[in-house]
Amino acid sequence: MKKLLLATTILAGLSASAFAGEDEIKMGIILGFTGPIESLTPGMGDSAELAFKEASDSGILLGGKKIVAIRADSTCIDAAAATAAAERLVTADGVVAIMGADCSGVTTAIVNNVGVPNGVVMISPSATSPALSTIEDKGNFFRTAPSDARQGVVLADIVLGRGIKEVAITYTNNDYGKGLSEAFSNAFKAKGGTITITAAHEDGKADYSAEVGALSASGAKELVVFGYLDQGGKGIVQSSIDSGAFSRFIFADGMIGQAIVDAIGDDLIGSFGTAPGGDNDGAAKFLEIAKGKVASDGKGPFDGNSYDAGALIALAMQAAGSMDRAAIQAKVMEVANAPGEKINPGELAKGLKILAEGGDIDYVGATDVEFNDVGEVFGAYKELEVVKGKFDTIKIH
Amino acid sequence: MNLLQNPSLRAVLAFSIMAGLLVTVGVYQSWSLALTILNLCIISSIMALGVNIQWGYAGLFNVGTMGFAALGGVAAVLISKAPVAEAWAVGGVNLLLAGVMVLVTIGAMVVVRRVMAKGTMQFLAMFATGLAGYFLIRTFYDPAVTSIEAVDSARFGYLGGLGLPIIISWPIGGLFAAGAAWIVGKVALGLRSDYLAIATLGISEIIVAVLKNEDWLTRGVKNVSSLPRPVPFEINLQVSPQFIGWVEWFHASTLAGIADGERVAALKQMTIEASTIFVKISYAGLFSIVLIFILMLSVLALNSPWGRMMRAIRDNETAASAMGKNITRSHLQIFILGSAVVGIAGAMLTTLDGQFTPGSYNPLRFTFLIWVMVIIGGSGNNLGSVIGGFLIWFMWIEAEPVGNYLMEFVTSGMDENSALRNHLLDSAQHMRLFVMGLILLIVLRFSPGGILPQRVKRSES
Amino acid sequence: MTDFLNAIVLFSNFVLVPGLAYGSQLALGALGVTLVFGILRFANFAHGDTMAFGTMITILITWWFQSMGINFGVLPTALLALPFGVVLTALFVVGTDRVVYRYYRERKTEPIIIVMVSVGVMFVMNGLVRFIIGPNDQRFADGQRFLIKAREFKEMTGLDEGLAIRSSQALTVVVAVVLVAALFWYLQKTKTGKAMRAFSDNEDLALLSGIDPDKIVRVTWIIAAALATIAGVLYGLDKSFKPFTYFQLLLPMFAAAIVGGIGQPVGAIVGGFVVAFSEVTITYAYKKFLIYLLPNEWAPSGLMQLLSTDYKFAVSFIILVVVLLVRPTGILKGRLF
Repeated sequence: MKKLLLATTILAGLSASAFAGEDEIKMGIILGFTGPIESLTPGMGDSAELAFKEASDSGILLGGKKIVAIRADSTCIDAAAATAAAERLVTADGVVAIMGADCSGVTTAIVNNVGVPNGVVMISPSATSPALSTIEDKGNFFRTAPSDARQGVVLADIVLGRGIKEVAITYTNNDYGKGLSEAFSNAFKAKGGTITITAAHEDGKADYSAEVGALSASGAKELVVFGYLDQGGKGIVQSSIDSGAFSRFIFADGMIGQAIVDAIGDDLIGSFGTAPGGDNDGAAKFLEIAKGKVASDGKGPFDGNSYDAGALIALAMQAAGSMDRAAIQAKVMEVANAPGEKINPGELAKGLKILAEGGDIDYVGATDVEFNDVGEVFGAYKELEVVKGKFDTIKIH
Repeated sequence: MNLLQNPSLRAVLAFSIMAGLLVTVGVYQSWSLALTILNLCIISSIMALGVNIQWGYAGLFNVGTMGFAALGGVAAVLISKAPVAEAWAVGGVNLLLAGVMVLVTIGAMVVVRRVMAKGTMQFLAMFATGLAGYFLIRTFYDPAVTSIEAVDSARFGYLGGLGLPIIISWPIGGLFAAGAAWIVGKVALGLRSDYLAIATLGISEIIVAVLKNEDWLTRGVKNVSSLPRPVPFEINLQVSPQFIGWVEWFHASTLAGIADGERVAALKQMTIEASTIFVKISYAGLFSIVLIFILMLSVLALNSPWGRMMRAIRDNETAASAMGKNITRSHLQIFILGSAVVGIAGAMLTTLDGQFTPGSYNPLRFTFLIWVMVIIGGSGNNLGSVIGGFLIWFMWIEAEPVGNYLMEFVTSGMDENSALRNHLLDSAQHMRLFVMGLILLIVLRFSPGGILPQRVKRSES
Repeated sequence: MTDFLNAIVLFSNFVLVPGLAYGSQLALGALGVTLVFGILRFANFAHGDTMAFGTMITILITWWFQSMGINFGVLPTALLALPFGVVLTALFVVGTDRVVYRYYRERKTEPIIIVMVSVGVMFVMNGLVRFIIGPNDQRFADGQRFLIKAREFKEMTGLDEGLAIRSSQALTVVVAVVLVAALFWYLQKTKTGKAMRAFSDNEDLALLSGIDPDKIVRVTWIIAAALATIAGVLYGLDKSFKPFTYFQLLLPMFAAAIVGGIGQPVGAIVGGFVVAFSEVTITYAYKKFLIYLLPNEWAPSGLMQLLSTDYKFAVSFIILVVVLLVRPTGILKGRLF
């Protein structure tokens, strides 16, 4: 009986803390705070909360309401635990919308098992699997990270455009890496390129010398890395440079970030890659406001996307003029897409004001958000190249 | 306290507390969440039952649960997904030929083994035959795989399944796991208990590695999602007039009290909630039937002459062997049975998730957590495993909100911007592992028999 | 002749050197596992997380040193912090034994239960490490990074292939050799070492001859903690520190310990190298190597890869299973120690 009493007390306390005040809006953030990408998620969570805070501090969100973010753990890999966590957010905490999830596998599970049945809007900052484009989401699922299918094609064009005809590929062995690798290979081969070897690597493993050995033995001079900059991808790059196997690398978005330049140093000069983003200065503005407030100072690969996901939810809610889930869903496209006044990071107050006055906005954000008809960003891509100490944008594709 | 010594009362009490916990979640958090947890509790307890059959009945330390659960998951895909005709057309023949080559190689190796005298030469000759066969298989297998995986790889890229109702995959998942367990058992059961543990751990990693990389069969890490369901979809219920009618009838009195203008909106929200709950109750019903069925069989088996033999073997192998019992065969039987139960649970889990994601199988969640359930529930006691499965899964899910709450409580006195406060709040999620470990250590120390200790006293060995 | 040299250098650069370093790291870890198994008689699932814990302590001290401007010249500062890390980790591990393991030892609980206890300790340490230092990648290496760079080697020798040796790789191998030698000397020559071997061979007999079991256990834990910390720090210097990776190291370490013959220090070392080299050699693409060695007309067109790197992780387990089948006692059988 004691156990029961104790549990009841704790649960009662829990729900007491969860009861929102009149002026509070509860918002869910579901990311893999434990598990394989646990090192990326604190920055992503902070970025989304930064957007929520900005909207709350404006004092005009739905007439002065405050957003209270409730975090839940998607574990990145365990669909069952992620579903239960999302269920808790939606049915117990009663969040109005969800920013998340992160990894494509758990995201699919949450959309199918929680999002769609309950009619809750979900905006994922980082689920990039092409399979999510065709998911039956009834208009509930959006993502601020573009599908990998397009990035593969863009990157293949860039590589061939630089006169590189032969590459080796390594990808992180999950749906992100594999999907991207296939999209890239198909485009690259169709346009006359040769792929000498495609080798998967597992994240979080002890040693990558075997992969690097096999990749280098294939005879290619350039290595395409579809991985994460603080995971196996970094291990592969480090090991390749150390052993002199490759000196130039081609990256996709998961590998683009200041962290890898800092970690590897000058040996990376000349390597290039793509990351989602357009020719706006939103990304720079985001870095400005994120500095010191976000775990990774906003430099993580999906921090900008997370801020945008959070901002979009707040703006859509303002446009809907209510906390009703269905009403929010109906407005996401509208605030994200043209026409309307362009809104950058740090200008949420301005956007909220225009919406409150009945105007129209076109949220641009850190990653140049523009949704297509299935609710995912079109994906303008930046071509970036490493110069002394940082990535420089060369061109927009 | 004497009452607690009575095993039946103890069991009733344990299950009442568990039910109380779920009801508490239902009342204070939400019923939908309580049912979600309940469904996963049932699946977890079936897995725990499978492990308990091996460990509690026969003392086999199998830490390969993950692999068998994953095989069950494959069954769900192979049974329920529609076949991809194009993939069969381009790669089917080569794949079948590769299969034939596998058989030829095995046959050749058997012949070599029969013909040659025992010794190093025989081993080398078998090794050479195997190696030659490996290259022969790959000449057919590689092109087959390449062509199959090239078929619309963003959507298919695999052979698909049989397109049958997914519920059939539950027993088939059991069969898959049983088949694998037969091979594993033949290989590893002769080993000492600690070796068996690490061998099964290794084999389960190999199984998952195969499922992750053989895209032609499982789509690998690209995952198979949108599996068919044995129960209706929520969104279909939400537009079904009949279902809406039921909801209206059920909530008639509440609805009557709502103003006319808001009634439609209220009914819509009620229908959404009712549909999610209906689906979860349907799952819970199906899962409960399986759980009760397996539990009954386990109890019957344990009390049968066969079960008595198993216990005798567990408690004293030498004596049982002297009595003419075939220990290796009995161990193999029980290993296969336990693994099959885990496979069934694996197929059920994949059905509930609605997708098969090979990347999600990791030993922490699918092996060690299940073992924690068995030990805490009470090894050797079937009901114990069930309550262990319930309780530990409940903790696994609820540790997070409780951890968050505790952290907020601890840090409530601190300055809003203090670095320590932010660090503690950010670390709240990691409380889950910490709490799990602590519970395990506390139970092992103060109640080593678990919540429901085994009723049959072990004979002194 | 140049071709032959090129082939040798190529092979050394991509197979030999990384294999040696990785093998030494695994061997040190496996040594700890095998020591605990030989003397305390259970498979310690918490060993990987002990490595993470020890490395974490060392990193914190390294950062402190670095902030005070203390460094170790061309060698990494972490080496200065290492002794403190070892002492603190040993204290923690001996404390864990007091609070947790001793209870079961005194009751002569079945080894399997103690294994479950170590799983509990693993969970707790897992949470603790993330709690203190966080789940992120931490870099703490400083000092000179390379002994020889690939480019320098090419210029020096005029060969087409380069050979790179990182200081951390050399350091790992040297420390591993010194440590293993010291451990063997300790086990063979000192009174406590001999007592430990006796205890491992026959516990009851050892107790009868007046050996203090508490001391044996304490010393075992201290050595295991030291090995874990040193292996963890060397690994972290060579790659980087991330708690999740250290948990993943547990499985190859177990494989190494068993393949070599569990309970035997030499076996752990052999096992470490067998696992490391088999991972690298089986998945290496021999195309370029053969092109150097074979006459032109025989040059292979394919990659000449035995197994794709997808299965790299499974290689150690396949070896493990094969060894268990063919020779269940491991490669080196016979007396423990």
